[in-house]
Amino acid sequence: MKNILLPFLFLTLLQGISYSQDVNLYSKENRKQFADYLYCQKDYLRAVNEYEEVPGLAASDTIRFKIGLAYLKMGDYDSASVNFSQIGSNSFFYNDAQAEFFKSQFLSGNYGSLNTENGNYTSVKQLKSFAYLFDYEPLPSKEIFISPFEGNERGKLSDFYDRKTNPPYKSELTAALLSTIIPGLGKIYTKEYSDGIIAFLVTGLMGYIAYTDFKANHKFREWLFTGLTAFFYGGNIYGSAASAQIYNAQVNFRLSSDMKLFLEEKDYFVPDYEFCK
Amino acid sequence: MNSVNSTLIIILFAVTIIHPQNQLDEQLTKAEALYRNEEYFNSITELKRLIFFDSSKRYSYTANELIGECYEKGAKFTDALNYFARAEIAATNTDEIYNCRINTVKINILRRTTGRALSLLNALDKEPRFNGKKEEINYWKGWAYIFSDEWDKASDQFRRISKQNELGRFCDSIDNQKYSVTEAKILSFFIPGAGQIYTGNYLSGILSLGWNILWGYTTITAFQANRIFDGIMVAEFLWLRFYNGSNQNAEKFAIDKNLEISNNALIYLQNVYKGEKP
Repeated sequence: MKNILLPFLFLTLLQGISYSQDVNLYSKENRKQFADYLYCQKDYLRAVNEYEEVPGLAASDTIRFKIGLAYLKMGDYDSASVNFSQIGSNSFFYNDAQAEFFKSQFLSGNYGSLNTENGNYTSVKQLKSFAYLFDYEPLPSKEIFISPFEGNERGKLSDFYDRKTNPPYKSELTAALLSTIIPGLGKIYTKEYSDGIIAFLVTGLMGYIAYTDFKANHKFREWLFTGLTAFFYGGNIYGSAASAQIYNAQVNFRLSSDMKLFLEEKDYFVPDYEFCK
Repeated sequence: MNSVNSTLIIILFAVTIIHPQNQLDEQLTKAEALYRNEEYFNSITELKRLIFFDSSKRYSYTANELIGECYEKGAKFTDALNYFARAEIAATNTDEIYNCRINTVKINILRRTTGRALSLLNALDKEPRFNGKKEEINYWKGWAYIFSDEWDKASDQFRRISKQNELGRFCDSIDNQKYSVTEAKILSFFIPGAGQIYTGNYLSGILSLGWNILWGYTTITAFQANRIFDGIMVAEFLWLRFYNGSNQNAEKFAIDKNLEISNNALIYLQNVYKGEKP
């Protein structure tokens, strides 16, 4: 009896201890593992809560960096910036944290912060160039502007630079003057071809009817159609100027959306991290 | 001695199985309590923790299903669908599969993708293993038709459950209250303003009729006096404009009234109806 009782007690005790270690859902290590799992599931808010609730866990640079990334993914750029800026210069993640910090600043529209002495990391320099494009500050020379880029990126940035410095705008005054000379010509100048032709035909038709009414001495109709001719003529001059404004707004919009698309394709020049592989 | 050995071995196994399971049971109980207290965010966190540590996948169905319900309560329908699909994969019997699919149907009804809800319900209807659930399937089909604003079809589904079904009678009454958009347009086509009067907009109908009589009279007298140009202008820019306006108003008023009736019916169902709802 004693032979079996002793090993039994030993095994029971051993199991008790080992299980209490294995399934303690709230141990520091298990909570970290669970938070990592949530992060990789892209459940960033819960991952951040879990990382921050475990005492001492967020002191780790890796965790602090992941918290910053989680905030960035959630679009909370201020909290992301705060977390990235807490990573010291002796950390393995320092350069990446700098890049992510500036990415957060860039995404929150705080372009001015990119013009600091800290931005020596290549991706920071690249973002800095883009900040010039989005900001209203004067651009540097083209050479300086494209210097952080290589290969195809350099060509693309050169194109963005040219479109920003010499946008293919249409003059509102020219459009209005052209429509003053020939109704509809201003619209054709702003590439609104069908509008231009219709404006020419309608104004011409109204003018012709007014002319025939004057010739036939139709007292009411001659003034009615003269008024309509003046209305269409004046409206077309105003419409041509407005069309030039719209054209210019489209030029700006296309440049902005092309730049945003390019930045998203390049993920704002930050590297791909392997936390979830 | 043998019986003592056996007993000890059984106890040993019991410790092996029961001890860790209790931890996970407690976790599930905690998550369920949070769900009952309407703390859905925290409940989801604890259920996800349970799934993460449940290496035997024993709680996979329960936890995923409950996460789906939490997301549903928070109106995060896409996430809810995702977790009901996971629960269905983890389901171990027909009832669990059925429950997941009905939850998916309810989500589709709530987010008004009723075509998807109906196709899921038709698929359930065709499966022999769910033959015992016909009434319930008809019930949810009825709800899908309610949310797609087809009250007559909804009534048909509820009447299949029983001729005197409460929701069937309610859907019939709503269907009877609704205006026919085609009828309103036809009335206004023949008598301008009649469509508006049909939908209860008497003042608008009378004004419309008055304007049409005035411009119609002016047009006809112009033509009679050989003032052809004036006749064409008045007919084109005044009479036709008011005539078309009358037709368009008849259609708009009928659609607006029907929307009001449907919305009031849904509010009634939400606040007063005691039966099961999506």
